[in-house]
Amino acid sequence: MIKVVLPATLRVGASDTLEFEGSLASIAELIDALDVRIPGFKDQLDDSVFNFAVNDEMLLHRARERRLADGDTVEIIPTISGG
Amino acid sequence: MPQAPQYPTQGATVFIDLERREVQRGYTPLQVVRSLLAGRGANMFYLHRLLDESLSPLHPDIPLIFGSGVLTGIVPSAARGNATSWSPESGVLMDCNAGDYFPSFIRMNGIDHVILYGRAASWTLLHVKNGEIAFRDATPYVGLDNIDMRARVPGDFGGTWARDLAMVNITRAGENQVLTSAIMGGPKACYARGGPGAKMGSLKVKAIVVQGQTRDFETAQPYKGYNRTIAQKLLDTSVVKHALKTMGTPFLYRPSRMLGAMGTKNNQLTTWTDKLDAEHITPYRSGMTGCFRCPVNCRPLNDMKVTADRYGAGDGPEYVTLGKFGPNVGIDRIESVIRLNNICNDLGFDTASTGSAIAWAMELYQRGIINKTHTQGLDLTWGNAEAIEQLLFLMAGREGFGNAVADGTRAVEKGHYPAEALKYRMAVKGLMQSDPHDARILKAFALGLAVATRGMDHLRNRVTLEINARINDDPAFKERLYGGPVSAAPNSYQDKARAVRVCENTYAVGDSVGMCRFTTKLFNSPSLPGLEEFANQVANVTGLQFQESELSDVGHNIMGVERLINGRLGVTRADDTLPDRWFDEPITVGQYAGEKIDRAEFDRMLSQFYEISGLDGNGQPAGAWRTRLAATLDNGQ
Repeated sequence: MIKVVLPATLRVGASDTLEFEGSLASIAELIDALDVRIPGFKDQLDDSVFNFAVNDEMLLHRARERRLADGDTVEIIPTISGG
Repeated sequence: MPQAPQYPTQGATVFIDLERREVQRGYTPLQVVRSLLAGRGANMFYLHRLLDESLSPLHPDIPLIFGSGVLTGIVPSAARGNATSWSPESGVLMDCNAGDYFPSFIRMNGIDHVILYGRAASWTLLHVKNGEIAFRDATPYVGLDNIDMRARVPGDFGGTWARDLAMVNITRAGENQVLTSAIMGGPKACYARGGPGAKMGSLKVKAIVVQGQTRDFETAQPYKGYNRTIAQKLLDTSVVKHALKTMGTPFLYRPSRMLGAMGTKNNQLTTWTDKLDAEHITPYRSGMTGCFRCPVNCRPLNDMKVTADRYGAGDGPEYVTLGKFGPNVGIDRIESVIRLNNICNDLGFDTASTGSAIAWAMELYQRGIINKTHTQGLDLTWGNAEAIEQLLFLMAGREGFGNAVADGTRAVEKGHYPAEALKYRMAVKGLMQSDPHDARILKAFALGLAVATRGMDHLRNRVTLEINARINDDPAFKERLYGGPVSAAPNSYQDKARAVRVCENTYAVGDSVGMCRFTTKLFNSPSLPGLEEFANQVANVTGLQFQESELSDVGHNIMGVERLINGRLGVTRADDTLPDRWFDEPITVGQYAGEKIDRAEFDRMLSQFYEISGLDGNGQPAGAWRTRLAATLDNGQ
């Protein structure tokens, strides 16, 4: 199982987590799966506010290639600059 | 100078001689506007013309210049203006940007730039109404900090904040020429960086109060339809919907600490507790507010429901303050950070410079370079929020050890600390770092901090999108954004200079039209309004036609003039650098453990930046570009 932690603005219902059973081999596959569960999710990614972190490791490039394993926690994090 | 507007909506430049109590007016010459626009850009024209580098920053003949952007007060999210001078803290260019209501309301009075010089014989308040400027006795306001000042003024002058009343003012910190003091432009909004409060205090100006109803401008062409396009673009942008409108900038704390890039304990460490994540501010966030006619409303308000004193509620904190008064001073209680934020807003401090100066002192205390004899009993152990609170009040009054920290980066030069302390000062060109991000990983961030014309500051050129995998993993898109290939790897040095150049140009134009950085393309999103939208709306509002590439050249020109000013103040290539800690000490946590800045690689990156930017070996504009800049500056032709 892969657990996905969502930011408040992407939550589906009251829960801030989604769980995916079965084989999701990479972040790319996870994005496809998320787009099914959260309609329009891919479009939101295109505006580039979201980063992925796998087990607290932020992915700054080659994110979609990142391999996933059973038990991983993936967090989707809005990323902006400060002021 | 021209005595009539050079284009529709242009406001006057008012020269206010505080000593003689005289006001003269003119209008920025058209060719200057074509080369530098207004706001920050034209401010540089005026500073270059009026600067006498044989004097010192706090000399009354060194002007303090306020300027609003070409689109300020007219376009959604364009509510900004700049304050410019010779910095009493850094010793180089001082240039600060703020929003709230003053920059827009001064334009409603037909004024684009206010140039203050001469020292008033006694504390003075300038009152602007119906375009006229009156000199008022400010004696009754001396000693008032921000909360009391803002409570007093509406009763004395009439009007309501944000409706028909705006103000810039200093606090006791500014009166006492504290070098980390700001000029407040609202409950929290301020002109910060480089000691603007001290500069205004040195001229004996307590405040500029602006009154007047908002009005529509008579523009060259209809503009409201395109305003709606811009507003919709803002509101449709994911970063606005998912971050700025909901929690504001504290969102960034979590990704920064997870990455191992969170400046902690004066950048000795680079990660800190999850107890300061933005979600822990949520219970205290009582609402969101914003600047004049901005649909984003990104400023979080706070209310901790503590009524013991006035600091239980306030405006903020932003990410910068969260970082500077959280990890960088070793505080892990969100309530302490919020309280210190509220105190800083009242006392009129630049939280970036102030928090950094305190963190510097705390590291010196940790290392035994200073002790309780120096601090006059204050225990500057990391995380001691009570001591920091005491120190802030001491700083405002330049009392006790507060007098040392009040001298900011200059504490060694002023004799407060031994020379050894400089080794631990996290500053570039005499200015402490603006943001809490430790840039040893992200090389584009590092270069930006090194070359920023006002010192170590992220708001001049940050290639923020370097932290976004979606963009890093799309080389073609990234190439379009920056006009050429830029390495996808955040910790690579390759071609990062190109990205910094493009951001610096875009942001300088943004400042000069008055657009907020948060809503300018490339800073937080590639989808926000950028040069194309600015060119379209500048044409609608002013009738002045710019191609997108010409606006980019304007941004380049502004950077060029800033470098000419800095050159006169003694800045050379050697000053376009970073604190030794980032070259010498690798970070120790996270997936990028071991990263630091390689001196040779950095030098090559800097050389590439100079080449792309048309700079000579000393970081000064070169060749025909320099000749063109000189013509603009010398003649306004």
